[in-house]
Amino acid sequence: MTATIRARNLSRRFGKTRALDGVDLDIPSGRIVGLIGPNGAGKTTALKAILGLGRYDGELEVLGMDPSKSRDRLMRDVCFIADVAVLPRWARVKHIIQLTEELHPRFSRERCMHYLKNTKVGQDAKVKSLSKGMVVQLHLALVMAIDAKLLVLDEPTLGLDIIFRKRFYSNLLNEYFDEERTIVITTHQVEEVEHILTDLIFIKDGKLILNSSMDDIHERYTEVMVKSDQAEHARALDPLHERVLFGRHIFLFDHADASELRELGEVHKPSVADLFVALMRDDENDSLGRPAA
Amino acid sequence: MNAQSAKTMWALLRRELWESPVAFKWTPIGIGIFLVFLTIVSLVIYTQFDHSLTSLFDTMAAFANTDSDQRSLIVTAALFSVATLFFQIMLLIILFYLSGSLYDDRKDRSILFWKSLPVSDGMTVASKILTACLLIPAMFLFAIIMTQLVLLLFASGLGLFAGVNPFTTFILPASLPRLWTIMALGLVVQALWLLPIYAWISFCSSWAPRLPILIAFGIPAGIALIQHSWSLATSFSLPGTNFGWMILQRLGGGVLPSNININFNEINDVDFNQDLFMSFGNLGRIMIDPEMWIGLVIAAVLLLGAVWFRRRASDN
Repeated sequence: MTATIRARNLSRRFGKTRALDGVDLDIPSGRIVGLIGPNGAGKTTALKAILGLGRYDGELEVLGMDPSKSRDRLMRDVCFIADVAVLPRWARVKHIIQLTEELHPRFSRERCMHYLKNTKVGQDAKVKSLSKGMVVQLHLALVMAIDAKLLVLDEPTLGLDIIFRKRFYSNLLNEYFDEERTIVITTHQVEEVEHILTDLIFIKDGKLILNSSMDDIHERYTEVMVKSDQAEHARALDPLHERVLFGRHIFLFDHADASELRELGEVHKPSVADLFVALMRDDENDSLGRPAA
Repeated sequence: MNAQSAKTMWALLRRELWESPVAFKWTPIGIGIFLVFLTIVSLVIYTQFDHSLTSLFDTMAAFANTDSDQRSLIVTAALFSVATLFFQIMLLIILFYLSGSLYDDRKDRSILFWKSLPVSDGMTVASKILTACLLIPAMFLFAIIMTQLVLLLFASGLGLFAGVNPFTTFILPASLPRLWTIMALGLVVQALWLLPIYAWISFCSSWAPRLPILIAFGIPAGIALIQHSWSLATSFSLPGTNFGWMILQRLGGGVLPSNININFNEINDVDFNQDLFMSFGNLGRIMIDPEMWIGLVIAAVLLLGAVWFRRRASDN
């Protein structure tokens, strides 16, 4: 099985800042990968390199192609939403659909209409007259109507209401995703995507600080809710992170003995958001990265 | 170009039309309506002095009796002069269009959408140049033809009242197929002649961080000014050939008749006859002019530069 994305020592500097600092990455097909990091961690730089939109040093192959050299060829099999609302403002909805149909060999008008059916996006409307959320709905419909091997979503649901967000992720999982495809998602709203992810990558200061499958993560990390009187005991076991909620102490452990933890209190799997906070803080004590709400 | 690229190019050209309907569609139509309106107003004013239009009808009758070469010259010259206003506004529209063509989508970030489509950057730049060289001239030519037809019908109607045969007096001497063919070819040759200037503006548009039109005009103007002052300061004389002057000459010294009056150097030698604008020979002469080919080489280099920058362009 060839990797959808393969990177070795992927780097990019902006002046003195290392936006990407020697990243090694292998993403096979049939995965849904969450790329999570604080603002300015290098997420967008990495995605731009993958999409052939930015320069980079090091080796990078996407679907066996060099994105910096053959972006147009690559875009037949890759589609992306780079950010919110970047559709041309002067265009009418029907024009954009027609253009995409004529320019993209794998676009299906039928599917696009299917996804637009439940929105208020009118065919004759100009993009500039649509609300921010409606532009995103239109863009998502366009992208989901393309039969691509790699779908890159950079903050895809910013500005959308909760009903549409839920429906979008459920469509993505049930109608779009299959063994042949790979989806890479970045978002700050981690809790919304964590149940659909197969893999999780945390990035901070241009470095990957976590890169593993969700199964491995659930295997590896454990959270225990401990009563105050047991807190000292738990601290002795070298937890990654500790927080207090309603007078109870919650500890996060890496590779801990499950039976030992069960004696301390209620054991459960950590959420991605909690894991994120713990690992971002753990890596370096200063420059705390907090996931935005 | 294979079928797929032709289809892609067609879609990209239509995109340009969708983006700028006012400049490409409504402006030429507007000029046509304006010219027809102007004709009607002139006639109405004229009737204030000459209620029964007798002197106009007399002139028409006299005109119908001149020899056919003379008639042909005057009718075609009149029809060409109708085109003048179109051509000058068209040139302005093309220059402004090109300055924004590779800049606007970088500014509003929609470049990220365009780059998500499987269209190469070379194809994108080519579509902008083809829009400037063929699409816009085609739209204007269509409006010119329509305006000329309306005015010819108008003249023919008056001719009927004047008792002259409109067909032999106006329509036949206009030799419309020849006139339109020359105009169409002239527009293409003019586009090739101006290609280095078009390419320069596209080149600036592909990298300018802001105000591409100021940069595109400012750099050559600056060079001309420096050259001018340097020459004055060092040898107390004006430079023999000035860079800015060369560019202005190329802009003004196009191949369409509307440009003759700006070509100062030759104005005295111009012999007003039909060869000036109704001959294919002129176009041929310009095509074998070495200046034309030097210009095309410069244009090619600048366009490669534009593609180079376009490939690296992103939303910031």
